[in-house]
Amino acid sequence: MAEKKIALYVCSGCGIGDALNVADLEKNGTDECKDAQTKTHAFLCSQEGIDSIKNDIANEGVNRICVAACSQRAVYDAFDFEGCITERVNIREQVAWSHKSQDEDSQMMAEDYIRMGLVKLNESSPVEPFIPEEELSKDILVVGGGVAGLTAAKESAEAGYKVILVEKEAKLGGYQANLSKVAVLPYKGISDNNIGELVSAVESSDKITVYTSAAIEKTDGSPGLFSVTIKHGGESIEHKAGAIVMAAGWQPYDPSSLGNGYGYGKSKDVITNAMFEELIKEGTIARPSDGRTVENVVFLQCAGQRDPEHLSYCSSFCCITALKQALQVKEQNSNANVYVVYKEMRTAGHAEDLYRAAQEAGVIFIRSQEREVQAGNGLAVEALDELLGEKVLLDNLDMVVLATGVVPATATGDDVYAKVLAEGEEAVEKKKDEMAIPPDIIRASDILNLSYRQGPELPALFNDFPDSHFICFPYETRRTGIYAAGCVRRAMGISAAMEDARGAAMKAIQSVELITNGQAVHPRAGDLSYADFNLSRCTQCKRCTVECPFGAINEDEKGNPQYQATRCRRCGICMGACPERIIGFKDYSVPIIGNMIKIISMPEEDEEKPRILVFACENDAYPALDMVGLHRMQYNAWVRVIPLRCLGSMNLVWIADSLSSGFDGILLLGCQHGDDYQCHFVRGSELSKIRLSKVSETLDRMQLEAERVRYETLSINDYHKLPALLDEFAETLDGFGANPFKEF
Amino acid sequence: MSIKTDPNLKKELREFGVTNVDNCYHCGNCTATCPLSTSDNSFPRKMMKYVQMGLKDKIKASPEPWLCYYCGDCSVKCPRGAEPGENMMAIRRYLTSLYDWTGFSKKFYTSEKFEYLAIGTVGLIVGLILILFHGTPDMEHAKLNSVWPAHIVEIGDVLMGGVLAFLLLSNTWRCISFILGDLKSKIPMGIYISQAKELIIHFLTQKKFAECEDRMPWFVHLMIMTGYATVFLLVVGFLAGGIHFIGLYDERLMFQRDIIYPLYHPIRLLGYYSTFALFYGVTYAMIGRLKKSKPSYKFSHSTDWMFLILLQLTTLTGILIHVTRLVDLPMPTYALYVIHMMVCIPMLVLEVPFAKWAHLAYRPVAIYLTKVKAAYVAQAGSSETAE
Repeated sequence: MAEKKIALYVCSGCGIGDALNVADLEKNGTDECKDAQTKTHAFLCSQEGIDSIKNDIANEGVNRICVAACSQRAVYDAFDFEGCITERVNIREQVAWSHKSQDEDSQMMAEDYIRMGLVKLNESSPVEPFIPEEELSKDILVVGGGVAGLTAAKESAEAGYKVILVEKEAKLGGYQANLSKVAVLPYKGISDNNIGELVSAVESSDKITVYTSAAIEKTDGSPGLFSVTIKHGGESIEHKAGAIVMAAGWQPYDPSSLGNGYGYGKSKDVITNAMFEELIKEGTIARPSDGRTVENVVFLQCAGQRDPEHLSYCSSFCCITALKQALQVKEQNSNANVYVVYKEMRTAGHAEDLYRAAQEAGVIFIRSQEREVQAGNGLAVEALDELLGEKVLLDNLDMVVLATGVVPATATGDDVYAKVLAEGEEAVEKKKDEMAIPPDIIRASDILNLSYRQGPELPALFNDFPDSHFICFPYETRRTGIYAAGCVRRAMGISAAMEDARGAAMKAIQSVELITNGQAVHPRAGDLSYADFNLSRCTQCKRCTVECPFGAINEDEKGNPQYQATRCRRCGICMGACPERIIGFKDYSVPIIGNMIKIISMPEEDEEKPRILVFACENDAYPALDMVGLHRMQYNAWVRVIPLRCLGSMNLVWIADSLSSGFDGILLLGCQHGDDYQCHFVRGSELSKIRLSKVSETLDRMQLEAERVRYETLSINDYHKLPALLDEFAETLDGFGANPFKEF
Repeated sequence: MSIKTDPNLKKELREFGVTNVDNCYHCGNCTATCPLSTSDNSFPRKMMKYVQMGLKDKIKASPEPWLCYYCGDCSVKCPRGAEPGENMMAIRRYLTSLYDWTGFSKKFYTSEKFEYLAIGTVGLIVGLILILFHGTPDMEHAKLNSVWPAHIVEIGDVLMGGVLAFLLLSNTWRCISFILGDLKSKIPMGIYISQAKELIIHFLTQKKFAECEDRMPWFVHLMIMTGYATVFLLVVGFLAGGIHFIGLYDERLMFQRDIIYPLYHPIRLLGYYSTFALFYGVTYAMIGRLKKSKPSYKFSHSTDWMFLILLQLTTLTGILIHVTRLVDLPMPTYALYVIHMMVCIPMLVLEVPFAKWAHLAYRPVAIYLTKVKAAYVAQAGSSETAE
């Protein structure tokens, strides 16, 4: 790229010009970057404003543009100049709209922000797409030949992608192949199992290569560059793949561990919903004990589900399955007495119609939280009927069908980290680097056999499901380019699994397309930057390889990190983790942020203008600050905000630097973490919190109060809490007095 | 002790008109919308549950069906089309059959064939008796007393009244026993007496019915009820001007009389009122049932139609007799009289103790018993706190 030529454009529209002295702001630019040209415009995002910038690019050779106007989240499409680096400085939402007009402190704030923007612009280098030497593959590997896997394969093939489908059983069809009838959208009744159609569509597609009785021996590489070894018929076949749809399915929960209250094992006539399907394949629904056709049947729902001692979750389709099976009993004998004893009927959406159909067929529904199967003399179910407030006895039963739930295929095998713990203190000591942060649950369930440093399978979110936040990041597992679908992701019925498969296939396609362009996939889709490792200074501490939430960094034998760019989501968590500060992006690095901190003017103690540095996650906390401005709420003027790609990219050196340069307090604003995480990078805010716990040592050494550094989680709709939060923090800091380092 | 369910009861109850009860998923909208349901006696959702589960004992002891006047709001509000209103009606039919110790009621309700046969048989017997036993008819003038003298017919009247009263009262006694159970003997007599006025008020006014949002059904019901009660009084109490065979009568008040009273005469006026009231009420109900104009008219059990048809025929033949007497046509008068009796006697004999008319006793009694029970519970509660 040509010599850098920086230009500063200050917009005075949207009330900025009324609140701030724009002419003085402009001067900042010339002070800071001697050769920078500056301009003010009353309406910068208008065609005229944009044209004037474009004119400067074309005629003046301007290639780095600092736009001091609205938030980076507004009119981003207008300020997009090809071949230039653009930095947005937010003096609208976070200064003019949220602070006093024509005020000295507001003016200082805007000046600081412009200087910070100019510093960032000056220190960034242009980004270029990541294109590996090796040829990228766009093929999609589908793991599992059940309804989800088959749908994903079919849809991907129809979208024009080559598919490799691996199924461990001899036949395609998965669990659904076991069923006689199915209940699917629009749930008007029960219908014949049509999985055969899907199987033949997949088998006849010339874009899909099917391996049955096959297993994946090894998955090497990274998205776009996966190298998959498939064991099939005694030989190992290697395939290249760009992305993976993981639909390995599920198993029914083992009923023998349910205990006495369910009567399983005590009577042959107590069966599970899965066993019912095997029974009905024989033709008639008959008592397992003596083959007599059934007259009185109870379907007992939530057998071990939504029960912390067994499966703590709802398996979502068992209510619909019970309705289907109850209707099957009624089809066989309309005079049969069929009861469904349930905790709550969960027939979301159209499935309500199936519930209605079962009611109309005369199935009796009993809502009960306390129920017991009595399998002594004859079979009976006693249940406390909530609507009667009394116990009812359903006796002379021919059969009790227990609704046992879904156990994902990922729930088998040893937990990699639990195994280390079990091996004893010595093993833990040896792996102390890995154990320093709460480990992910990764079980060796023999599905993908990934050659990833963090473990061979997908990390679970909870209950061994490799799920993700269901609204924000569906299908995205913690491994880039690998998308979970169907019951392995979350318990679901046939219709939901088909929808899931389509979603996961879409994600897989997006992934291979972005990677082909050298761009990051979700959530920073399109980002061209990627991490640089200055390996000559690496001390092999493994912090980056352990902490990367996406397992993007492998390790060689010596412990050197091996960055896999296409696995990377560009969050910068490794950059925050690295104590040697050898990791950075071209436009986002430890020194860039460090210099932004240093450029912030630090008033003397006697000026009584304290300074609070806020590191705000740009996904939630930063927009929340914008929201404060949009609502014209005012907040503390001592605050200076630096947006971070993720709070997890916060490097502790910034804390030390800012405290020693005189900041009175530091506030970290990150996202909610845990099961219902909102962090775009899953563990970023959690990791930054863990990292922060080590900061108190530094503070002690500097003889500063630990409370000067504070960590808060915040979601975007908490914006209204921000002014009070900032004021309260300022008050706390006021109590400690000024940071003594101001004087140095 | 757990309750035992009986899924077969539902099948039996279908014969009484239970319909769509399986659709109910117990959201409780029906109970919430009912203007008559109270926290002590909530309905109709509870009854739907009893029917679904086949809890015969619970149904038997429930006064709630009688507290419902079938305005139909519940059925309109039901999101599932479970027809709670009609099911309450069907439960009333079922209860009527349970209260009846003869078992006649059950057959009458559950078999149309039996229903027609019973009505036909009673009608024929009445006709035969009237044709076989009569005096010398006056063929010049329409004089009913010359054929069937009022003081003789009155004996039949009183006999019939006695039998009907016995049957209805004994069934009502069973109704009381079922509803109160063990409490029947526990509740002190004083409470029964203190609440007696409730029985009479509800019997006469059906004032609870007027609490329903649509007051038209209450009005129609009141017309039929007062029209019927008036004519019943005229026929049973004043056919021969009082109770002739014990000598307590006044010829000036005779209902069955050969000389027509002047227009202002109270007996004639009462006769006109009851005729008009019945004709209006029954016609309204029949048109309503044909057009299904109200929720309560949406479903019609065969006994509902039979009841209306018999009542309408009784009214129409009554009107015709009045006309033929006015124009003094002897033979048509006598013939119509036979038909009139062949229609109205079966209606009385079958409907009063065994079918729809029986609610004239059960409904006020059930309301009365809920008041008695409430008074008893309140008293027991206050004496407990006093202790």
